[in-house]
Amino acid sequence: MAGTTPDTAPRTLQSIPPLHLRLFPNQEWSLLLVLLFECVIFSITGNNFLTTSNGFEIVRLSVEIGLLALALTPVIITGGIDLSVGSMMGLSAVVLGGLWHDAHLPLPLAALATLLLGILGGGLNAILIAYLNLPPLIVTLGTFSLYRGLAEGLTRGLETYRGFPDEFLFLGQGYLGGIVPPQLFVLLIAIIGIWWWLHRSIYGRTLYAIGFSAEGARYAGVPVARRLLWVYVVSGLISSLAALIYVAHLGQAKSDAGTGYELMAITAVVLGGTSIYGGRGTVMGTVLGLFALIILQNGLRLSGQPAELAGILTGVLLLSTILIDRYAHRRAARPVTAVSQSILSEDLEVKNSHVAILSAVIIAAALIVAGSNWMLVRSLQPVGGVSTIATANNTTPTNTSRKLTVAVMPKAKGDPYFASCRQGAEEAAKELGIELLWDGPTDLDPAKQNEVVEAWITRGVDAIAVSVSNREGISTVLRKARQKGIKVLTWDADAERDARDFFINQATPQGIGYTLVDEAARMMNGSGEFAVITGSLSAANQNEWIKHIKARLAEKYPNLKLVGIQPSDDDRDRAATETQNIMKTNPNVKLIMGISAPAVPGAAEAVKQSGRKDVKVMGLSLPSLCKSFVHEGVIESVILWNTLDLGYLVVQSSKAVNDGSLKVGVQELSAGRKGKVAVQGDEVILGAPFIFNKGNIDQFNF
Amino acid sequence: MPNSFFFNFNVARHQRELAALSAYVALLVFVGIVAPSFFNGANWRDLAVTNAPVLIVAIGMTLVIITGQIDISVGSQFAVCSMLAGGLAKMGIPVPLLLLLVPLIGAMFGAVNGALVAYFKMPAIVVTLATLVIWRDALRWITEGAWVQGLPAAFQWFGVGQTMGQAVIVIVAIAILFLFRWALRNLGAGRAVYAVGSDAEAARLAGVNPPQVLLSVFMLMGALTGLAALLNSIRFSSIPSNSGLGLEMKAIAAVVVGGTAITGGRGTLIGTLIGTALLGTIGTALTFAGINPFWEKAIQGAIILAALASDIVFSRLRSADFGFGKQRNATIPVGRAK
Repeated sequence: MAGTTPDTAPRTLQSIPPLHLRLFPNQEWSLLLVLLFECVIFSITGNNFLTTSNGFEIVRLSVEIGLLALALTPVIITGGIDLSVGSMMGLSAVVLGGLWHDAHLPLPLAALATLLLGILGGGLNAILIAYLNLPPLIVTLGTFSLYRGLAEGLTRGLETYRGFPDEFLFLGQGYLGGIVPPQLFVLLIAIIGIWWWLHRSIYGRTLYAIGFSAEGARYAGVPVARRLLWVYVVSGLISSLAALIYVAHLGQAKSDAGTGYELMAITAVVLGGTSIYGGRGTVMGTVLGLFALIILQNGLRLSGQPAELAGILTGVLLLSTILIDRYAHRRAARPVTAVSQSILSEDLEVKNSHVAILSAVIIAAALIVAGSNWMLVRSLQPVGGVSTIATANNTTPTNTSRKLTVAVMPKAKGDPYFASCRQGAEEAAKELGIELLWDGPTDLDPAKQNEVVEAWITRGVDAIAVSVSNREGISTVLRKARQKGIKVLTWDADAERDARDFFINQATPQGIGYTLVDEAARMMNGSGEFAVITGSLSAANQNEWIKHIKARLAEKYPNLKLVGIQPSDDDRDRAATETQNIMKTNPNVKLIMGISAPAVPGAAEAVKQSGRKDVKVMGLSLPSLCKSFVHEGVIESVILWNTLDLGYLVVQSSKAVNDGSLKVGVQELSAGRKGKVAVQGDEVILGAPFIFNKGNIDQFNF
Repeated sequence: MPNSFFFNFNVARHQRELAALSAYVALLVFVGIVAPSFFNGANWRDLAVTNAPVLIVAIGMTLVIITGQIDISVGSQFAVCSMLAGGLAKMGIPVPLLLLLVPLIGAMFGAVNGALVAYFKMPAIVVTLATLVIWRDALRWITEGAWVQGLPAAFQWFGVGQTMGQAVIVIVAIAILFLFRWALRNLGAGRAVYAVGSDAEAARLAGVNPPQVLLSVFMLMGALTGLAALLNSIRFSSIPSNSGLGLEMKAIAAVVVGGTAITGGRGTLIGTLIGTALLGTIGTALTFAGINPFWEKAIQGAIILAALASDIVFSRLRSADFGFGKQRNATIPVGRAK
């Protein structure tokens, strides 16, 4: 018996593979190529891309997603998935804030409790998946909803915990030795820890075995359920760790922390070559995939490309990586392929050539895209002889060599309100001969604004104008921008006072809230029930308006009764449904007030379809979206300011701040076609909110 | 026992559908006690009209999940199809033609997913994750948030008026439900869907062409998404560019709560109908019951988990009757292409 150990077959597999296979067991070198390619392209197209500080900035941006991706790597290797990591971040952030702020626990204790919560949250997933044999996708889809829902329920969406001590914030915002972000070490420790766990421990080997075949692993004596338990518990723990860093990074804890991070993290893992079927994948792959993703976003920002392009290219990159992977493993007939099977040398020849061809095609395609963009960017920047023409029209003598670059950020791209602001901004930029960068978040992720500002600082723009969605969170980066000599303006919503030079004030939250209530009271003759349809429950500015709406009601209109505040998630269809519900549950409601741009037309559709003539609709929205309803008499009035003028004024003021004609103490600003605009202290006043109604709405085209 | 419909009804086989149904009934009883005004004709009509497009998407999703795949790009497809429907209508294309054209466009989007999954053997969750981002961001880039406005009068409610239009939406959804239910049970193509989901290799040996089935299922998913987008669009007088956000999660949750196995091979459309009704009613029911909307997401998550847990309870009960139940795999990979 002893002489017949069946090791002849395994020996060929266990014999030491060539160096490149030992270095890149899962063909991670193709990702290195992608990374290299990205770096080359962006160092040409982007400004200040290849600098040490940008390198560390990239690291800082990648920590939260990176931690989640690291947590997901073992999960996906076992053939499972965890969609709940982003929601777990939201719940952890809220619990951290609540324990520290409301329960007055010392911060380290609160952080410890938060990590414990992560273990519990991961434990719930683990029990359902490992011991009750439920499918991971559906279990974590359930907890994805559950954890986020708990976070929103606990804070009612409103509560934002801020004012964390500086030592804690240092973890997310500080610099060690003036340049190294402290969270780098957290990421490094996590990388090493997970690497050791997966690749250097027996435990890790069993995870691969489970991923190949859970049944087979069980026969081989692996306690499958117990192994899986730990994988999901660790995933929960790391999610709450990511939440701590996120809170320190942003300076605030809110229920929307980590929204959408699960998909980003899964993308990074899959990009890194981990098979979604399980059984194959490496930590190095995940790290490379992560940086391929983050550098793509960062580089596009530094090249002045829109955020949407980053999304599209991420998708394309994901598809092409998997496609290469498929081709590489084609020889092995089944999709679930052992790495060891493909280590035969003749397979390798085919694989390499296929991969090379595909990489070449992708690189060529990307070159064309990047090249055309580069040409575009260069053609917009006058150099040499061309610049004399530009300076002829340029009134400022200081800027002779190049155009002024003004970067303007909306709260969200793809919102019709900000789209019309952009029109005004572009008009002013054209008039003044300014290069306008217009970019911002495309999703609800509150950390995105910071990332964009960071990129602009690195890129080196002359002025930044931000419509702020997270007051505390963004102020730290805006201060940093000012230190670097960039003029900072805020518009639409203000940051902290010392974080910006000027605020373009179209209306204060108080002014908006009061005008809304005054107009509603007029329409309702001072008494009756009304309801509010808001954007999302955690939207900071809308919650601010609601506060002032309530204050005004208490102060002046005791007979007006606010019977409900329903969320619409900025979705017109949802606003219509919520309005239907309100009209049924509160039959006496006399007025629906929408306070997000899609909510007003949504409410109007519902009221019109119900045939109720006694219910009126009003609110804060774009005239163009409401025009037809105003003429039909469903909407009586829409309140807003001139968004074209707002965008126009933002760019005009940015230039004026830059050439010194706008500074504190100036009484008025001459702003192109707007003429003289009043300046109060450090605020440029656009004017009071405007009420659009049947008589005047046709005069406006925004 | 006569082999009639009633006597043939196997409780164990439909445990998940029954669990969802009992949850739905419990929800209705709860609302009925707390807020009896929930039960009025107008409310049911509005619920039906609002959820009909979701149901149509969920029908497609049921097919996809029965084959053991998944499609998380339907929300983005929905948004693109809505905008295109509006654009085509403004170009003067008659509304009946749109009923054909928009699902066709949707089927093309589905074909992209389907081809990559079926013929390039790429994992469905990754493919559709990529197309989810690509379509959505491309649409954002092109439209910059602009809505389609100034639609021709014949577009809203297909020009047949509100009452008729609402009826059309609901009837189309129900008709599609029963058409697909019949096809899944009685047609060779329908059985092939289950066969591929249960065991693709066995199906292939039995003469089914699994890649072809997968491609068709993804194309049907796209076509149904296009139809749902069109039917949803005609409810309103303009079309926003950000519709369908989170639709994929809604549809998948409805399908799974309705008892379809995420591992493929098992599931019914009646279950999907119950799942859609259950999840689609919660929000309205909470408003009627006066519960704060902040808790809605948490309750939805709890219902998904409860539906899963009910499965365990049922199977434990059964294994108590018959001794040891069949051992299932400890991990169930996502959308495994067998």
